[in-house]
Amino acid sequence: MPTPGADIDPLIEDIRARVAARRRDGFYPEGLEADLDSHFARVARGRRTTDVTALRDLLISLEVRGAFHRGRIQLDTSVPGGSQVHRVIGKTISRQTEGVLQQVQEFADAVRQTFAGLVDIVEYADTHVHADVTAQLDAVWERLAAFERGPVDSPAAVADLRRRVEALEAAEAARRFDPPYTADEFESAFRGSDEELKARYRDVAERFAGRSPVLDLGCGRGEFLELLIELGVGASGVELDERLAADGRRRGLEVTHGDAVAHLAGLGDDSLGGITALQLVEHLTPAQVVELATVARTKLVDGGLLVVETVNPGSLYTFAHSFYLDPTHSTPVHPAYLEFVFKHAGWRHVEIEWRSPPPAGDVLEVADGADTVTAANVARLNQLLFAPQDYALLALR
Amino acid sequence: MRFHQVLVSASPGDAVSAHAFELRSLLRRLGPSEIFVRHRHAELAEEVHYLERYGDFVAPPAGDDVLIYHVSIGDPEIFGFVSRRPERLVLVYHNISPAEAFAPYAPWFAGLLDEGRRELAALRDRVTLALAVSRFNADELSALGYRDVRVTPLIFDPAALLDVPSDRHTANHLRERVDGPVLLFVGQILPHKRPDFLVQAFHALVTYLRPDAHLIMVGNARLPAFSAALQRQIVELGLHRAWITGRVTATSLRSFYDRADVFVTASEHEGFCVPLLEAMTFDLPVVARAAAAVPETLGDGGLLLDPADGPLVLAEVWDQLLGDPGLREALVARGRRRLGDFDADGARRAALEALASVV
Repeated sequence: MPTPGADIDPLIEDIRARVAARRRDGFYPEGLEADLDSHFARVARGRRTTDVTALRDLLISLEVRGAFHRGRIQLDTSVPGGSQVHRVIGKTISRQTEGVLQQVQEFADAVRQTFAGLVDIVEYADTHVHADVTAQLDAVWERLAAFERGPVDSPAAVADLRRRVEALEAAEAARRFDPPYTADEFESAFRGSDEELKARYRDVAERFAGRSPVLDLGCGRGEFLELLIELGVGASGVELDERLAADGRRRGLEVTHGDAVAHLAGLGDDSLGGITALQLVEHLTPAQVVELATVARTKLVDGGLLVVETVNPGSLYTFAHSFYLDPTHSTPVHPAYLEFVFKHAGWRHVEIEWRSPPPAGDVLEVADGADTVTAANVARLNQLLFAPQDYALLALR
Repeated sequence: MRFHQVLVSASPGDAVSAHAFELRSLLRRLGPSEIFVRHRHAELAEEVHYLERYGDFVAPPAGDDVLIYHVSIGDPEIFGFVSRRPERLVLVYHNISPAEAFAPYAPWFAGLLDEGRRELAALRDRVTLALAVSRFNADELSALGYRDVRVTPLIFDPAALLDVPSDRHTANHLRERVDGPVLLFVGQILPHKRPDFLVQAFHALVTYLRPDAHLIMVGNARLPAFSAALQRQIVELGLHRAWITGRVTATSLRSFYDRADVFVTASEHEGFCVPLLEAMTFDLPVVARAAAAVPETLGDGGLLLDPADGPLVLAEVWDQLLGDPGLREALVARGRRRLGDFDADGARRAALEALASVV
């Protein structure tokens, strides 16, 4: 019969190797055993061992003197001739007092035990405190121990978290665009005059007559707000760029500085007659566009009007001229997609209107007397290259 | 012819006292035999006499009386007594705990242990025969120049142990309130037995490997300063599943053995270590450290770690054992086989023959 468990010695070797590997891998914290040793050394040092030495010595002497025995009764005497009498009397007395001696012995034992108990209490007062207090203390220690055992105390885990946070911060810093010029300087350089802009949007503003109040999302310098006010429409705006917002307020307009969609979400439901977002959605992320479609609907009164105007990605002319002029344009939004998003969000009446055709001089012309095939080709090229630069989505709640 | 025995102290459950009682029942076949002590537990008041009464039992003096002295600690009064008595002296050496382990907690006790080693050396020429309960102990005596040294193992009777019933309340508590695996240590809560090392290993076990385990340490907390430190260690490490019971009755001890899954000890000094055999009796696998007489008593009946192995190795060994029924079975079988080497009647015969040889 083979020896049962003959493979025990290699097993211990395997376990030693496992412990070493786990120590290397950080499964066991570095220095765990040394920590446990110094912990017990501290705990053991904390015990008072000498302050009741005197009591302990008394206890020992009590132990030593604790035996009563009639054998200790003196039977001899130095009185000449008295020895025999003394022995007889002494033995008689010792027999008579045996019972008393036994009681004294029992009493002394009880005293000794009581004294030993008292010495323990005096020496280790902290182990005799109220049970509630020790229970609470235990609970606190337990929670502290659980906390200290948590994964956060692993240096590797902390280092990993720090590395990930730093990578996120670096990505965020790279993503943020903080140009040295102001938005106003940019707009002055590339956008038309106030009058040109107002002429371009007058037809949009007129659609909001009688729809007060109207909120213009991404109102910029506030030209469109001024148009609305000229038409007697109560209007306010929200603008992400702080300087543009302040500039608008200086001109007496009601402009809030902040994120357009977040600001809109903060307004009361059914509180607006109209909402405009002119040249805004190409700055937003797809998620923000979807959120705009949903939130705007709840803020308008029943029958309220929303106009979203943006660049038309169906026109190659747009990309050659205006779209990439602004580095904060993130994504052009296709009109069919925008229409889909708004319809999906529950808007009642949604339509697309083409705006800003390229200047007539830029469009390809057909020479007089050209054949019909050439004329058709030119028309198809114009359709692809020179489609309107913008479109507006009009939606009714 | 009288065979009286002398011990420093007698208390229930103590291995030295138990051995003296075993010898007394043997010696009474040869002649009158009583036990005399300096200190006794109140429960033993009917069983043992204070040393002061020795004179009552040896009057009139006889030339062939034998005095048997059990040595496990020093005591100037007993040393003086056995040195002066005219009887032939037989020394039973149970070993003396290392004084340095006690010095931080009880300098007076450490002093008595040191005193014991001095007395042991001084008694050499007074002793007719020296008996040691293990080869480890015998070697110490030989090193001190003792000439006639014999090894007579402790008399261990598994049948008597299995006859002790389980305590109903303790068993009920352990069944209802203690879930998960139980590691059991049995022994006095003293520094050289290293219960603090067990607690360290247990901390690693429940923190990293097996959170539902229990560690129960059954034994007399004889040194309040040390057991308070141990208790504080347990509390500060948040080990609410580690538990020091203090002294328990024989029936409660049975309940703990019945409930336990593994017997563990980290002791660094043992003259014999009876609980190893008790654990084998109750079919518990044994995990211990190879120190002093432990390898001799355990034989191949359990799992022995090198004293250089730290608490993490001990914790992983426990974890392995708790999760590996095959290993457990193998260790239990080894323990059962090893237990067969300790024949109680053989040990009684050997002890009696040795004692009779001095007559």
